Amino acid sequence: MSRGYLSFALRRLAQAVVVILVAYVFTFVVISILPGDPVTNVLRNPQNGFSEDDIARIVGYYGLDQPIHVQLWRSLSKFLVSDLGVSLRSNRPVADLIGEVLGSTLLLATAGLAVALLLAVAIAYGSQVLPKRYGQDLLRTLPSFFLSVPNFVIGLVLIHVFAFQLRLFRVIDAESPWATLFAAIALGVPVSAQIAEVLIAGLDHESRQEYAEVARSRGLGQARLFARHLLKPASLPVVTVIALTVGELLGGSLITETIFGRTGVGSLIQRSVTTQDTPVLQAVVSLAALVFVTVNLVADLVYPLLDPRVRVVDGRTAPRPTVQEAGAAG
Amino acid sequence: MTTTRRARPVRRARHLFAALAAMVVLLTGCSSAGNASESGSGRPTDGGDITFLIDSLGTTWIPNNSAISSFEGNIWGHVTDKLVYVDANGQVSPWVAESWEQNQNATEFTLHLKQGVTFSDGSALDAAAVVTNLDIWSKGRPQDGINPIGLFPKTYDHAEAVDASTVKVYFTAPTLGFIPTLGYHGSILISPKTLASPASDQADLSKTVASGPFTVQSWKEGDHVTLVRRKDYNWGPAALGQTGPAHLDSITFKQVPEQSLRVSSVQSGQADVAYNASPQELESLKSEGFTVAVPRYLGFVNGWAINTKVAPYDDLRVRQALQAGINRQQIIDTVYTPDWKPATSFIQSNVPGATDHSNLLGYDPVKANQLLDEAGWVKGADGIRAKDGKPLTLTLYSNPYLATSKSIDELLAQQLTTIGWKVDIQAYDVVTYGQRVKVGGAAVPAYEITRSFIDAGTVAGILTDANKGEDWFGLGESDPTLNALRDGIAKASSLDQRNPLLDQLQSYVLEQGYFIPRTQIVQRIYVQNPKLKGETYNGVAYANYYTAYLEK
Repeated sequence: MSRGYLSFALRRLAQAVVVILVAYVFTFVVISILPGDPVTNVLRNPQNGFSEDDIARIVGYYGLDQPIHVQLWRSLSKFLVSDLGVSLRSNRPVADLIGEVLGSTLLLATAGLAVALLLAVAIAYGSQVLPKRYGQDLLRTLPSFFLSVPNFVIGLVLIHVFAFQLRLFRVIDAESPWATLFAAIALGVPVSAQIAEVLIAGLDHESRQEYAEVARSRGLGQARLFARHLLKPASLPVVTVIALTVGELLGGSLITETIFGRTGVGSLIQRSVTTQDTPVLQAVVSLAALVFVTVNLVADLVYPLLDPRVRVVDGRTAPRPTVQEAGAAG
Repeated sequence: MTTTRRARPVRRARHLFAALAAMVVLLTGCSSAGNASESGSGRPTDGGDITFLIDSLGTTWIPNNSAISSFEGNIWGHVTDKLVYVDANGQVSPWVAESWEQNQNATEFTLHLKQGVTFSDGSALDAAAVVTNLDIWSKGRPQDGINPIGLFPKTYDHAEAVDASTVKVYFTAPTLGFIPTLGYHGSILISPKTLASPASDQADLSKTVASGPFTVQSWKEGDHVTLVRRKDYNWGPAALGQTGPAHLDSITFKQVPEQSLRVSSVQSGQADVAYNASPQELESLKSEGFTVAVPRYLGFVNGWAINTKVAPYDDLRVRQALQAGINRQQIIDTVYTPDWKPATSFIQSNVPGATDHSNLLGYDPVKANQLLDEAGWVKGADGIRAKDGKPLTLTLYSNPYLATSKSIDELLAQQLTTIGWKVDIQAYDVVTYGQRVKVGGAAVPAYEITRSFIDAGTVAGILTDANKGEDWFGLGESDPTLNALRDGIAKASSLDQRNPLLDQLQSYVLEQGYFIPRTQIVQRIYVQNPKLKGETYNGVAYANYYTAYLEK
């Protein structure tokens, strides 16, 4: 590993830490400027019958009567020593809450990504090998269609057909393999569209290259050409797209988990937003930032290793091909 | 004119979900009554597991910190016991307290406890445990993040264990509502060991030790709670006709936020109970054979507390015109189903002490128009009445705690517009509503009430500003008649003394147009597998499956 590459890696790592801290502070500020706070929002429900004295005492216990900058400093200083604090909503340690749901979301996101990749490769393969008279053009419009259908619509249709009609899974058993598969399909279909579009553009580009023409003139079929020669070079921009879709997978999991009744990071975010549970939201947003930044960091670090055309000079890389470039090339 | 501001994105998304789900159900022809059972033997049978689908599992499992009317109340009702049982008609009967007596002034109460009652860890639910519970309900432990129970009588002084099964409770002023309050869903008996533990431990439901007919087998935050029958349970409320163990082996409360999925799951036989279905679906669900329950809680009806500090609602004739200008039956016909009951007072008709004042709540647009004419409000060319150049306006703030509130506001706006009102509807989310809309607020002429209580004596403490009361009508101490009725009710030491005053109060408040009832309120709706029978509904309209069984 060269010195330039090490310097590049350290620089990107430092940027990642800054991004996570900014995300943490930004979340705190955004929640703080909203009217009310999570404690008084519950206590001020007139049905609860709390007096203003009661409310003031309880708000004081949570430190919500302190100036914003004091609350932020207290929260940030704990975060820096890995203390995520206690949920204002449930009074349980935030680390426990995240620990309980993280596995489910990672499983769903991974399964969703696998579905997206399988679907994207299948569409891209079809776009290269399927003759036009058998619907190649129709296949090429599928990504646009997938992008235009929200994943909650896909989820509801899947549930009503496969859970209620065909009874392949039960809504109340959301973590079962079948339920997970259909949730992954709902999550993965819109994501597959972006991957498929980039892949098709890359394949079209590679397919017009001289080496592809030579291979064809030597009698190599389109299917073999796809597998042996076109797929690998066309896949490089996909690394960038996958890194970018991590955010979409995390965001999509919020809706997918709600629809499928799964308990994951998405449903934790939903509950925390509706109750302004600041410590949980800050921790989850920081975690999401961490995952997003890490995946992109890995993509950045791996890219120079995968593509010999990318060089690290003075701790910086020539930018890796973007989606737009890949698309333009196609 | 009707305008709506700030439609909330989340709510819009939820409506979109519901509409899509309904569309998909129609398209796919969701199966329905296929699982509905025919009539069976009707005899309770032991065994079986049920699944209850619920919108949310609430916010916290710290017993005192659970909000009133919370989702957690569904679980607490099965895991814990109370000192007394209050049924759907507000009748109080013994439970863990076998009997009780009070002194003449209703300032001292003696509770005699059932013997042999134990918490699930084997420790005794005795007088000392009851004293610990009373203290924590009254005072909480604010320094440790444990709230008091907001509605517990503020007149509580202290309690002492006379012996293992006798508790004496002292109040600083007459507190006739104390015994009924013991049946309120916040007044749940928890083991002193649990109550002494830190807030973070109390927030872990698996660590909560109580004495109810079910214990917690497993739970996952925001996902499910599974309860299993306690086989040695033998101290249920006699009023339910059963004191021994529950019939069902287990109850799983599973969180399914999507309303349509909850109902569809029951329709397809995947679950037994769906909580909070839409009122519009109920008639078709009933026709498909499903059991539908719309229990009413004890409390105020759904209606408006009129702020007399805001003009023109300082004018009796305008308030009376409002009272007469509302067609309450049309609310039931349009927004609800015949299961909903019209208001007969400003408190629900199942509250002990509620009397029928339907004669004051009839729809009479002619009278309303006449009253407004007399008050000098003249109809303009656009149909809106005006006086001294100012239009007759009413701003309604839809109550975010009641899903149907905005629909009712829209209907009432139409009705009032025909009389000459210019109605403006503002719909806020819970957070914004809590900040901007307050009872008696300067810009809030009509504050929508949805509130439960166990004892009608609560009413006296709320209507004016005496003793830190909420001053619902902005009257302060200015109405001597109201003050006299309030004081008489607060000081009453027997129901015989209190009930006639309560009757006068209801009549007076309605005649004066201080409170404008809309309908009796139903906040919990249950759709149930017809094979599941024998459930009960308590005074706060929570379903309880202690006596329930699955028909074979």
